[in-house]
Amino acid sequence: MHRTVFVAGALFVALGLGLFSTKTLQYGIPVAPTENLGPWQVELRISARGDGARGSVRALLPSTEGGQIIFDERSSSDRLQFSIRERGGNRIGVWTGWLQDVHEVVYQFRVQSHAVTTPLPSQGPYPEAPKQLRSVWGQPSPGIPSDAPPVKELLDSLRLPTAADQPARIRTIYSFVSHEIATVRSASSDALLTLARREGNGEGKERLLVTLLRAAGIPARLAHGLGLRESTAPDELLWAEAWVAEAWVPMSAVHDFFETTPDDYIVLGRSNVPVVEATGVSAIGHRFQSLREHLRPDEIANLLAPDNRLFAWLSLYRLPVTWQSVLRVLLLMPLGALIVAVFRNLVGIKTYGTFMPVLIALALRGFPLHLGLALVAAVIALGYFARFSLERLRLLMVPRLSIVLCFVVLAVMLFALTGQDTGVATLFAGALLPIVILTMLIERVYITTSEEGFREAILRAFWSVLVASAIHPIFRSAHAEYLMFSFPELVIVVIGLLIWLGGYMGYRVADLIRFRELVAGETAGGAVR
Amino acid sequence: MIAALRRLGVLGINRRNADYTLAWNERRLYPLVDDKLTTKRLCQEAGIPVPKLLAVAETHLTSRRLLDQLAEETAFVLKPARGAMGNGILVLEQREGRLWRGARPYAREDFEYHAAGIISGLYSLAGHSDASMVEERLETHPSLAPLRDDGVPDIRVIVYRGIPVMCMMRMPTRLSDGRANLHQGAVGVGIDLVSGRAIHAMLRGHRIEKSPDTGQPIVGLLLPEFDVVLHTAVAAADQTGLGYVGADVVLDARLGPVILELNARPGLAIQLANRAGLLPRLDAVDARLGPKDGPPVELTLEERIALGRSVAARLSR
Repeated sequence: MHRTVFVAGALFVALGLGLFSTKTLQYGIPVAPTENLGPWQVELRISARGDGARGSVRALLPSTEGGQIIFDERSSSDRLQFSIRERGGNRIGVWTGWLQDVHEVVYQFRVQSHAVTTPLPSQGPYPEAPKQLRSVWGQPSPGIPSDAPPVKELLDSLRLPTAADQPARIRTIYSFVSHEIATVRSASSDALLTLARREGNGEGKERLLVTLLRAAGIPARLAHGLGLRESTAPDELLWAEAWVAEAWVPMSAVHDFFETTPDDYIVLGRSNVPVVEATGVSAIGHRFQSLREHLRPDEIANLLAPDNRLFAWLSLYRLPVTWQSVLRVLLLMPLGALIVAVFRNLVGIKTYGTFMPVLIALALRGFPLHLGLALVAAVIALGYFARFSLERLRLLMVPRLSIVLCFVVLAVMLFALTGQDTGVATLFAGALLPIVILTMLIERVYITTSEEGFREAILRAFWSVLVASAIHPIFRSAHAEYLMFSFPELVIVVIGLLIWLGGYMGYRVADLIRFRELVAGETAGGAVR
Repeated sequence: MIAALRRLGVLGINRRNADYTLAWNERRLYPLVDDKLTTKRLCQEAGIPVPKLLAVAETHLTSRRLLDQLAEETAFVLKPARGAMGNGILVLEQREGRLWRGARPYAREDFEYHAAGIISGLYSLAGHSDASMVEERLETHPSLAPLRDDGVPDIRVIVYRGIPVMCMMRMPTRLSDGRANLHQGAVGVGIDLVSGRAIHAMLRGHRIEKSPDTGQPIVGLLLPEFDVVLHTAVAAADQTGLGYVGADVVLDARLGPVILELNARPGLAIQLANRAGLLPRLDAVDARLGPKDGPPVELTLEERIALGRSVAARLSR
């Protein structure tokens, strides 16, 4: 290795490692995820279209309560004024202004949540709820028709325990809604219709539960919340809360919980109105995104520490959740490239295309390795067969390649359909990206087969897949993802290592194998001489 | 193992790429050797013999007319102008207006499809569109003919800074399907630069003495017109401006030594065929000619060939 190359590589490695160690040693940012069940980062993105009138967008914002701690709230919105109001125990974010064209409102927070149990008391007495509370949560209200005749009739038919035994009444009503009312996604969300038809959608059932509870003299309310999930967008949920002995007891006849809200359920607020609503807009839509972090809240706070402007500014944790998801994947790419460089320049194996293995590994990120490889093998076999059949038609290259692409699309479509039938939803997730890559791969395999023989084609495919398999676990590793995302300066270290690799003038493993006979012959000859 | 290779002075791929092709072959000069039509023109202008060009088609339209231009010819070779590793080459004979290739007959449509595939870039280095070219078919020199069944052997000369440093003959076999590619099963024959005599032969990395196809002895064979072969190779390399070139020369029965193609990234298997490393010879050349940016050493073509031979003689014991 030339001296200058060594020095240049060393500079990069030192710079990267320097930043890395400053962050770990001085600011105490751990090098490994400390908390498998760390806080969630949640993003609410609202797009509203207006016609130039003055209006506002309102959203229920979560508060710190019960089992959830909300921190690090941020909002960004173009041209709209943001404020938070407290109303009826809820926090409501309000964005106001002149609504012209499309406005994008983003609200982000982090939440640390754990399950909390509020048990029904096992014995009385059960003090009556304060008057004020009863007037808000005990009376009929829009969407909660607790004074309707069918509701009264039903309660009579249920033969409820005495009014004094509130827990028993709640159990009876909960069990009725849970077991006697079917959950049908397409059914009504109206409490009375749900009761009449004995089926309702999630909202209909929870509304009916609240209605029946109120009719039975128990204050009850609807809670809006999110069910956070690791790999997909969070579910927007609704459940009921009943007031007994000075506490709100959570329950859901749809999501099957009682007294305990499950882990990773967070409350946005209690309200009869939707989570997001607006006035003065012509159209509005919203969606939630979430990401689980693998750090403790105090460590995240350190990472974003205001006393250290540079690192705080460089921290990727302050980006919107959607960008973070992209960057988390992107930052793994240099590691993949490093592995390819090792395999090619130190080992000296041949692969299809320089970064094909990286792309294959990336394409298979959503799958366990064996499933992913089976998928690739199946698609290549199909495409290869299509390519083989096309040979007889003697088509020119671009249309022919495009036809193979069409076949690959059809194959992926079939995978999606079978995935749906067999319930293997992951079979399809992330299968879009690799299509073009696989098409190119098919063509290369085909040409190599006809030009250099089947053996060479298979051998090269084997090496490509081998390198991809070496990269794959890294791309799937939560630890690697955490490390690169929390310490993006490691990319500088990778650059340094690549400089060293690029300056490595020694033999590759392939050279050693190739010339081994020369060495063997030489030593034998030398002995004779 | 590594120490043994170092002692032998074997050049590895990393070092070849960095210290020789990257350092001595300017990227902008690559098209001169990557495009066989350009190479041919370059050689013709300098009076270096090349196989005769019979027809060229650069578009699908003209490719239809290729065969019509070949009505007079009985044997020719269809190849991509920018192909790599002998890919996409079709050797054809023509009898009574029908085409043949070895045992398998080729029809007019097969020929046109192949030519269209070449133009679409199927065989070119980066998949770019390419030209189909048709050359006269070369005939193996009678002294080499008994060594093989099919295909034309070529002689690869590594020319470094204008000095021939190592030479091998690549002989097609039945195993290599008539192609002169070592990794496909052609025989690599190490040639002594001083005498032009075959000193070693190897097949797929193993030493052999005789032709696998005909059983004729290879080692000890004296190449005819070897001085002219070296002269042709070095003269062609001079035309390119490249500092590290593999010149492929074919000994044709009628034309004598002709330049088939030039290569800016010549392979390393030549070391196996010669059972010698390239590095000591390359270092000896550098020692004689001085550093790259030093004062140029003016030598005539003959002096350079003599220098290459004396280096080889000194280093091969």
